[in-house]
Amino acid sequence: MLVLFISSGLFLGWSLGANDASNIFGSAVGSRMVSFTRAAIIASVFVILGAVLQGTGASDTLGKLGTVNAIGGSFTIALAAALTVYLMTKASLPVSSTQAIVGAIIGWNLFTGSKIDAHSLTQILLSWIICPVLGAAFAYLLYHLLKIWRKNTRTHLIKYEARIKLGLILACAFGAYSLGANNISNVMGVFVTSMNLQDASFTLFSLTGAQQLFLLGGIAIAAGILTYSKKVISTLGNNLLELSSEAAMVVVLSQSLVLFIFSSASLASLLARIGITMPLVPVSSTQVVVGSILGIGLYKGVRNINFKLLGGIASGWITTPVIAGIIGFFLLFFMKNLFGIDVGHAVNPVVYNQNNLNTEIFIKYSIIVLIVIAAAYLIYLALRENSKSKKLNESGTLR
Amino acid sequence: MSLFTHTTRELIVKLDEFFDSIEIGTLIFKEGIKAYVTGDNEAFQNHLNKIDDIEGKADRLQRSIENEMIVHSILPQQRSDVIKLLDVLDEIVDTSKGSLNEFYLEIPRIPVSLAPDFISLSEISSNAAEELIPAARSFFREPNMVRDKLIKVYYFERETDKMAFNIKKKIFHDMPELTLAEKAHLRYIIHHIESISDRSQVAADMLASMAIRLML
Repeated sequence: MLVLFISSGLFLGWSLGANDASNIFGSAVGSRMVSFTRAAIIASVFVILGAVLQGTGASDTLGKLGTVNAIGGSFTIALAAALTVYLMTKASLPVSSTQAIVGAIIGWNLFTGSKIDAHSLTQILLSWIICPVLGAAFAYLLYHLLKIWRKNTRTHLIKYEARIKLGLILACAFGAYSLGANNISNVMGVFVTSMNLQDASFTLFSLTGAQQLFLLGGIAIAAGILTYSKKVISTLGNNLLELSSEAAMVVVLSQSLVLFIFSSASLASLLARIGITMPLVPVSSTQVVVGSILGIGLYKGVRNINFKLLGGIASGWITTPVIAGIIGFFLLFFMKNLFGIDVGHAVNPVVYNQNNLNTEIFIKYSIIVLIVIAAAYLIYLALRENSKSKKLNESGTLR
Repeated sequence: MSLFTHTTRELIVKLDEFFDSIEIGTLIFKEGIKAYVTGDNEAFQNHLNKIDDIEGKADRLQRSIENEMIVHSILPQQRSDVIKLLDVLDEIVDTSKGSLNEFYLEIPRIPVSLAPDFISLSEISSNAAEELIPAARSFFREPNMVRDKLIKVYYFERETDKMAFNIKKKIFHDMPELTLAEKAHLRYIIHHIESISDRSQVAADMLASMAIRLML
């Protein structure tokens, strides 16, 4: 029964491995510097290590956003997120599993009447905007430094490429570790409270209940990498930009740094000592990659920034969580009323009094507005796709 | 990893040796033409043997470099360009060898009055190839310097064309003592000497675009 309940989380993990892992080593494989097999094995090992060793940080923030206290609720939330990712990918819409899980948790909060932790929500929402910007800044800086180093050292191209190759392999390992550390919360975070597993001791090491779940989630991500990411890479290719080997390394490295920053508890406490508060939140690796590629584009002096691409990212911030929230809300309703499964109860119920009434009304209306915007955007996209296929058909007929 | 660095180092050495061969090949060509025109048969024969060896060495190095680049997946993005470049550079030494062989086989009669012109033509044509090698070397170390170094290649190629035109004009307009067959033969020999700078120009164009792509 337990396995059945976490199957939705494992499915989400598998799809994350299949889709998001291509962000880590897609450009490395695309630039033909590293073979797929080598990259996939390295990524699989390090994604599991990252998930088990450092997955707790971002998971705690998700836990604060919604303390899902029944396994049925966790299952439904993960299922809603997985369905959102699947449906939006199928409809060729920009999607992120991070945003899907956040939306689904908010759906759970609304369904159970739990109070949404505004502080955690703000941190998460801000991180979505900051991450691509930070990715672009890191990529710009790293690329600039790499170019200066290349110019000053006059290293032979063959030796330089050999170093880049080694750098790419290390960056892929670091990227996979950071992906596991940051995004495992999307996959297994919702199960941590509801399952409450006992610590397990082995001869050489011990694993907490959360770490056991993260290990399972990590294995699911690794399975996604090994079984399906090759297809995703070959389908997508380098559709954003044809990357050189050095640019590929910079993209992977800057993305890894951003993911690491938002998942490392020790780095956060180190930064806290110098007065910088770094929230540990799950971030979208896809959007960081896009930001990093834009950073390189800016360095190379690309005048025409792809606003369609940027629009895609921004629209994902709204559409994904809203759709996941709606799907989550309805799935929870069916699970509870149709199948009689306990999907959880409000931990911190909303108590309406004069002080917070205005805030609640504001949140309610904001959600309605967001739903309307998302619906309008979806209609617009559907109409655009329709006119595109019409044009294609017409051109086909003319030919 | 040690195997990897060893391969890299070995490949760099082989590339340098290949460039050396091309450079030496053009020098031998220049000296060979000078020896033929001045009638020093022994020196000419000596240069003919040397260019034969150097051309064989360049071919072996070229094949070995190409094999290692493919087997060890070195420079995956620039590999096809680099292989094409090596091929074009190898053609320069092939042409040099071919030209000296034409002299050996066909024994063209070069009038004494044209001897300095032929020596100058071979020198200028070889200079284009000589200036190409530093540009090719700098593609691997300082791609931003390639363009500057190629300017001399283009200059010598233009000078070769001008000089070849003037010699041909002199042969066909000012030397009635030569038969038409002799004139046609000399024109053919000039064309051979000229082709070294022409091939250098082809390689220069290729290098220029490769350097731009690398710097982007």
